[in-house]
Amino acid sequence: MFTIDRRGLMAGAASLLAAPHLARAQGSVKPRLTLISQWSAGSDGAAITALGRVFEQEGGVWQHSPVPGFTTEMMNKLRADILAGNPPAASQLKGPEIAAWSRIAPTVDLTEEVKAAGYEEVVAPDLAKLHKPQGKWIALPLQIYRTNTLFVSSKAMARVGATELPTTWEAFNALAGKMQAEGITPVANGGIRWDDGMKFEIALAGISPAAYRKAIMELDDDALRGPEVLAAFQQLRRFANWMDPAVAGQHYSVFLPRFIKGEMGMLMMGGWAQGVIRHNGFDAGDYMIGQAPVDNGKPAFVLNADAFIFWRSKEPDLQAGQKLFAKLVMSKRVQEMYSKTTGSIPVRTDMDLSGEGWSEGQREAARSLNESVKANQAVLSLAHNMAQSNQLTAAMIDVLTEYVHNKAVTPEQGRQRLAEAVESAR
Amino acid sequence: MPAGTAAVAGVPPLARPAPARWRGWLGRLAPHLVLWPPLLVSVLHVVSFTAYTTWISFTPSTLLPEYDWVGVQNYVSVLNSRNWKIAYSNLVIYGCGFVLLTTALGLLLAVLIDQRIRAENLFRTIFLYPMAVSFVVTGTVWAWLLNPGIGIQHLVRGFGWAGFRFDWLVDREMAIYTIVIAGAWQASGFAMALFLAGIRSVDADLYRAAQIDGAGPWRIYRRVVLPCIGPIFIAVLVILLQFAIKTFDLVRALTGGGPGLATQLPTLVVYDLMFQRGLLGRGAAAAVMLLLSLLVVLLPYFAYARWRKRREARHG
Repeated sequence: MFTIDRRGLMAGAASLLAAPHLARAQGSVKPRLTLISQWSAGSDGAAITALGRVFEQEGGVWQHSPVPGFTTEMMNKLRADILAGNPPAASQLKGPEIAAWSRIAPTVDLTEEVKAAGYEEVVAPDLAKLHKPQGKWIALPLQIYRTNTLFVSSKAMARVGATELPTTWEAFNALAGKMQAEGITPVANGGIRWDDGMKFEIALAGISPAAYRKAIMELDDDALRGPEVLAAFQQLRRFANWMDPAVAGQHYSVFLPRFIKGEMGMLMMGGWAQGVIRHNGFDAGDYMIGQAPVDNGKPAFVLNADAFIFWRSKEPDLQAGQKLFAKLVMSKRVQEMYSKTTGSIPVRTDMDLSGEGWSEGQREAARSLNESVKANQAVLSLAHNMAQSNQLTAAMIDVLTEYVHNKAVTPEQGRQRLAEAVESAR
Repeated sequence: MPAGTAAVAGVPPLARPAPARWRGWLGRLAPHLVLWPPLLVSVLHVVSFTAYTTWISFTPSTLLPEYDWVGVQNYVSVLNSRNWKIAYSNLVIYGCGFVLLTTALGLLLAVLIDQRIRAENLFRTIFLYPMAVSFVVTGTVWAWLLNPGIGIQHLVRGFGWAGFRFDWLVDREMAIYTIVIAGAWQASGFAMALFLAGIRSVDADLYRAAQIDGAGPWRIYRRVVLPCIGPIFIAVLVILLQFAIKTFDLVRALTGGGPGLATQLPTLVVYDLMFQRGLLGRGAAAAVMLLLSLLVVLLPYFAYARWRKRREARHG
């Protein structure tokens, strides 16, 4: 404890040298961090509070202002703070929006800290790229979720006499057919925009991660009009036909009890659903969990990650706080604590998850991330604003959600509309 | 002022005339004090922000305001977007449906309450109560009621009518009408209150004259009362129409613009462009067009009001 305190003080002293005129007035500097996030309740709130406690133990002053509710509200607060010339030391931000926002206000170059921590070597390359838009690290990822995760109701499996998770879309479709014959709604769904968009990304990433990368991440026009995207639209139509027609506009979690009871068979949802299911009073025996089908037999990982961006500040105590905070966010200790609380997996690919407190689902997802990175099959999520800027994402999700709910649109038309939406939004 | 009054204990003699002068001042100032500050605040709030938004709509602003000129480019791209077309055709359906249904329900309730019923105040309160509930609450409650899997359809089927269907909320073609229903539920009490006030203000002699002439109640309402409360109709229509145009939270809570894009409204598009897509310029252009559509409603009303005034002046 003592040594770390001293390290914190040294970080503070370093920033004292950087701003001697301010330092004289303040004497010794206590690292301080002002932070905006939307995490205030549930496991997210618990995790960030615990992180704050660690920060305080290290001698820092923790000033967290949560803006709960929609992400847009948090961004409005950030916008107002930036316009007022007083951005927080760090704020929650993710995906390509990091690059977009870094253009409107100065950020902190964390490259030194990242190098010192040897962090770059242990982060998935596509993810790392998002956090260093102009070649400099200005933001740090905190935790990762896999969106292409398949949850299958144990009761529904027992009713159709199946024991294994489907690993290809063909097997998935066969299992769904069996469930339907048994009177089970094969696909659990909520009917909110991102939910619909996620179904598409899971389908396409499973059909071909390479096509996903080309079409969704690189927006290659040929790939967008290619056969894999068409196949994904066909699979999305199958999903739509297997959903409960009475479900629309509700959060997926509303239907978790029906899923657990076996009235709904399969839920395609990010890893965070484990925490929600547990929160609803069900346990790991009620469902089977694994990677959603991938046709080429190798693991693929559709990545969603939360991160913090660091805004430049003149005050030495905030600068010291940013250094301390960066060090903590990159540390194994904090990542373990954070992921254990929220049910995510750590950003670091060099961590050992065999210990106590990790779930089987987390271990499997972490393994899969490692292998997917090696196989070049780790891609960024579209529905969770990781693959494209918000503007493009919204235009693409418009097409996908309409396609799910309007069965008069054919897969060919869906594919064409998606390509056109990309064209007009660019 | 007579010098004698200065003898009152403890009051300096010269202080007396001051309050009178003060009162005179105050009297002359009062109208200005009442008029100007609110006017200035409104001007600052409404006019300056409207002007600012209009300005932004001609700039390439994205996440933060920028002040270069791009002409009508934002307007063109909004007008060409699918979302805006869907939103506007929805606004027409929703606007007409909401105004007609709410007016009809409000009038019906007002006529029923006018029948000298017992516990009138209680009923009036009950019908007016939804107005006190926020649109988000209305939207959320109706989202559950109208959801076929858990709401009314589920309930009626539970009673044994297995073929019962009421799934407008999840039906792309019908979903916009669920917003009409929820909106009318919320606002018809308000229309009722206005109509009731109008009906009650009709001269009792007119009733009696009509009764003596042998007119039944239906005929009295149709031929005597309703023509008398014509201006109230206009007021109700204008207020409801501007309600309809600026509806946002209700849709957001009830359908979230879905299924798919089926219940998009212009307000949702503005919000989506400005805050979700981070396109302030385009969002501002959409907001300005929304404001223009409010004018479409209000200008005819002003024209009508002027025309009436002139006619009254002419006929004395």
